[in-house]
Amino acid sequence: MTTSAPEPLLTLSNVNTFYGQAQVHFDLSITVARGHIVCLLGGNASGKSTTMKIILGLVKPRSGEVTFDGASLVGLTTPQIVRRGIASVPEARRLFADMSVRENILMGAFVRNDREAIAQDLDRMLTLFPKLGQRLSQRAGSLSGGEQQMVAMARALMSRPRMIVMDEPTMGLSPLYVDRVLELIRTINQEGVSVFMVEQNASLALEIAHEAYVLQTGKIVLSGPARALKDDPRIRDAYLGGSEAA
Amino acid sequence: MSSWLDYTINGLIVGNVYALVAVGLALIFGVSRLINFAQGSIYLVGAYVGWVAVVQLHTPLPLTIIVVAASAALVGLIIERFGLRPLQNSVRIAPLLATIGISFVLDQLVMLTFSPNPRALPSQLPDVRFQVGGGTIGPLDLLIAGVGITSALLLFVFLRYSKLGWAVRAASQDRDAAMQMGVDVNRVNQAVFGIAAALGGVSGMLVGMYYNQIDTAMSLQATLKGVVAEVVGGAGNVPGAVVGSLLLGLVESYGVAVFGTSYRNLFAFLLLVVVLVLRPNGLFASARQAPPEPLTGTFIAPSRPMRIPRWALAVAAAIFAILPLFPVSFYVLQTLINAWLLGMLALSLTLVAGTIGQVSLGHAALLAIGAYTSALLSLTFSVPVGLAIIGGGLMSAALGTTLISPSFRLRGHYVSIATLAIGEIVSLVILNWEGVTRGPIGISGIPPLSLFGYDLISPNSIYWFSFAVMVVLALLQGRLLTSHLGRSFRAIRDDDIAARAYGLSLNRYKSLAFIFGGFAAGISGGIAAHLYSYINHETFNTQQSILALTVVILGGLGNVVGAILGSVALVGLPELFRIAAEYRILIYGIVLLLLVRFRPQGLLGTI
Ligand SMILES: Nc1ncnc2c1ncn2[C@@H]1O[C@H](COP(=O)(O)OP(=O)(O)OP(=O)(O)O)[C@@H](O)[C@H]1O
Ligand SMILES: [Mg+2]
Repeated sequence: MTTSAPEPLLTLSNVNTFYGQAQVHFDLSITVARGHIVCLLGGNASGKSTTMKIILGLVKPRSGEVTFDGASLVGLTTPQIVRRGIASVPEARRLFADMSVRENILMGAFVRNDREAIAQDLDRMLTLFPKLGQRLSQRAGSLSGGEQQMVAMARALMSRPRMIVMDEPTMGLSPLYVDRVLELIRTINQEGVSVFMVEQNASLALEIAHEAYVLQTGKIVLSGPARALKDDPRIRDAYLGGSEAA
Repeated sequence: MSSWLDYTINGLIVGNVYALVAVGLALIFGVSRLINFAQGSIYLVGAYVGWVAVVQLHTPLPLTIIVVAASAALVGLIIERFGLRPLQNSVRIAPLLATIGISFVLDQLVMLTFSPNPRALPSQLPDVRFQVGGGTIGPLDLLIAGVGITSALLLFVFLRYSKLGWAVRAASQDRDAAMQMGVDVNRVNQAVFGIAAALGGVSGMLVGMYYNQIDTAMSLQATLKGVVAEVVGGAGNVPGAVVGSLLLGLVESYGVAVFGTSYRNLFAFLLLVVVLVLRPNGLFASARQAPPEPLTGTFIAPSRPMRIPRWALAVAAAIFAILPLFPVSFYVLQTLINAWLLGMLALSLTLVAGTIGQVSLGHAALLAIGAYTSALLSLTFSVPVGLAIIGGGLMSAALGTTLISPSFRLRGHYVSIATLAIGEIVSLVILNWEGVTRGPIGISGIPPLSLFGYDLISPNSIYWFSFAVMVVLALLQGRLLTSHLGRSFRAIRDDDIAARAYGLSLNRYKSLAFIFGGFAAGISGGIAAHLYSYINHETFNTQQSILALTVVILGGLGNVVGAILGSVALVGLPELFRIAAEYRILIYGIVLLLLVRFRPQGLLGTI
């Protein structure tokens, strides 16, 4: 969309998605440039999580194209897509509740086989998320929401992804943790990982994003550089419309 | 006192055997939320492979165990790959029905290969018993305990330390999240089916050695026991399945000690129903666990039913009505009478399973209740047969609904398990309540059909009578479906949460459906009793329940015309092609499999 931007890593073009008869996406087109943080905003039930599921191959579009690093993802299974270098932090974390924190983090490295490097990365996660150090052998389900979010992010990083997709990473967290999460996303991004995140909280997301898209009942109604959108009154309008409809 | 220790040892040994089956069920349920009704068939295969190895190939015991485990695992892999994987995106009931079809096919293949006669399966172990405390223990007991403990350890190591084991655990806690970590769920399924089958096969072999006898009836019993143990331990909970199995073994063993052998299974199924009703997530489930069933109506294939014009139905009915006036053979009439009786049962089941979505696997119990009531009323109290049959229908409606009502709060697969258990309980009560039902001897000399004092002896009159009754029931049910009540039934099936939100009382509607369905099935059973003149506790068995279910799916769930068409097709076609009786069950199993795979909405579509 912006000609001066770096080359695209992920693109969705003209994606139409249905659940049974109900259409959720209408000609959805989104581009995530290499090295950028791109944020998808929208009210309840606007189709944000479904966009994540399309990228991850958990839901198949009826028409349209999804490409990652130039190659099509349509027709690949979720594990195949993950192996291409996309990691995810799902909505509501979705940790493996009965496994330990250590096992959860290591599950993130499931696609890798380099044992020693994995062990090193685990140590690296503990410096990035110091709080998890004392929690390693605890059941993941027994952690607080904020701690679970940390585990989910560490788990995603363990696959050494080229891109991370996150579904409402700040949802339900205390303000302290929200700041921490946003800062971590920025850190992760600075280490070269592209980020696609879904958010309801526009002002927070626009703080850290490079570009943003606004989704309303399955259609992109607004998009552009985050800086420009931050002050756009239409953001607020789009939101009010979106959440009232829900 | 010594005998109590013996009963405890026996309970633990039998529990160990159940555990081998139940752990496999739990692994499979954990990963795919599926109750694998073919597990008992794999156990059966294990027993017969063991027999071939021991008796014909004279393999030493360790090799026998390996051969059995490997062949069973192979069967498990084939079932997963070709029976279940194609159904991944189907409606929720499809894989469950497929495992039922697969179990029919496997059991029949074993029966056709080895004949239904029991065979001895010697254990090759020395026949000595050691004194332990006040009881005794033999080498076979030790072998079973050893296999149980070794398998548990291996499984623990696998789940805890291998990469695939981690994938299994992750997938059973959150399938989607596991996929997002790169876990290939198909491989996990494969692993789980292979392991479950290997354990199940070895279990079948050990049981065969324990009783020194194997026969094809083992299959269903093993599935049922495994399911009981698994659900008691908490569906999908592997350690829970082990504890549930040991508990079940002990409960049965002590029950047998106090009440006698014929009570063994009764205790198992009562335990199951009590756990299902009071703790549907099992004895050890933490409150956190969500119910493992989908909340809304994806259970049954939605479709647009085929519209058949009324005149066509009327013409078809008229043709069947005047059929006996033409020179048709006695054999044809006999076949159609069977189809009409099955049709009544199918009407009942299509209402319960299709229209309100409670997929019952124990519907034959309603036949049994109707049959026994009608038989006893006419024999003991000299009630005229016509009235006795109506009495049978009423009793079936009342008793059937009462028995099922505690499980109204269950959903999806759990309804199927509960109805299966209740069906077994009915047949076991009939077996054991000798004062009323005459127990294992059964009831003979049941008076023939008669109406207003006239005996219906000629094939024509029996034909007309059963046809007329079925048509009346079908018309009533058709009316019911188009009424407001029918719409409420379907609303409950499609989304019980929304239905409740609209103020529908689920229990009342479910009761109404079971009352109507119970009546139709009871009438069918009553008529059958007077036709057969002899019934016992095995006359109406699980095989008939499954046949009825196949009929109903063939016709299209909820579809009244479909239920009758399905009955005629499944009873008539094997006769038409003169298929020998022993192949019929096999064909029913294959029909069920093909339907589930290629046409889950049935011939005429679901309503
Ligand atoms: N599996 C499903 N089957 C049917 N409909 C679905 C399914 N998942 C989501 N939907 C519907 O699709 C629409 C979009 O859902 P989606 O979860 O993508 O929205 P969202 O923007 O993430 O909402 P939220 O802010 O609540 O997370 C909603 O109307 C939802 O009800
Ligand atoms: Mg969402």
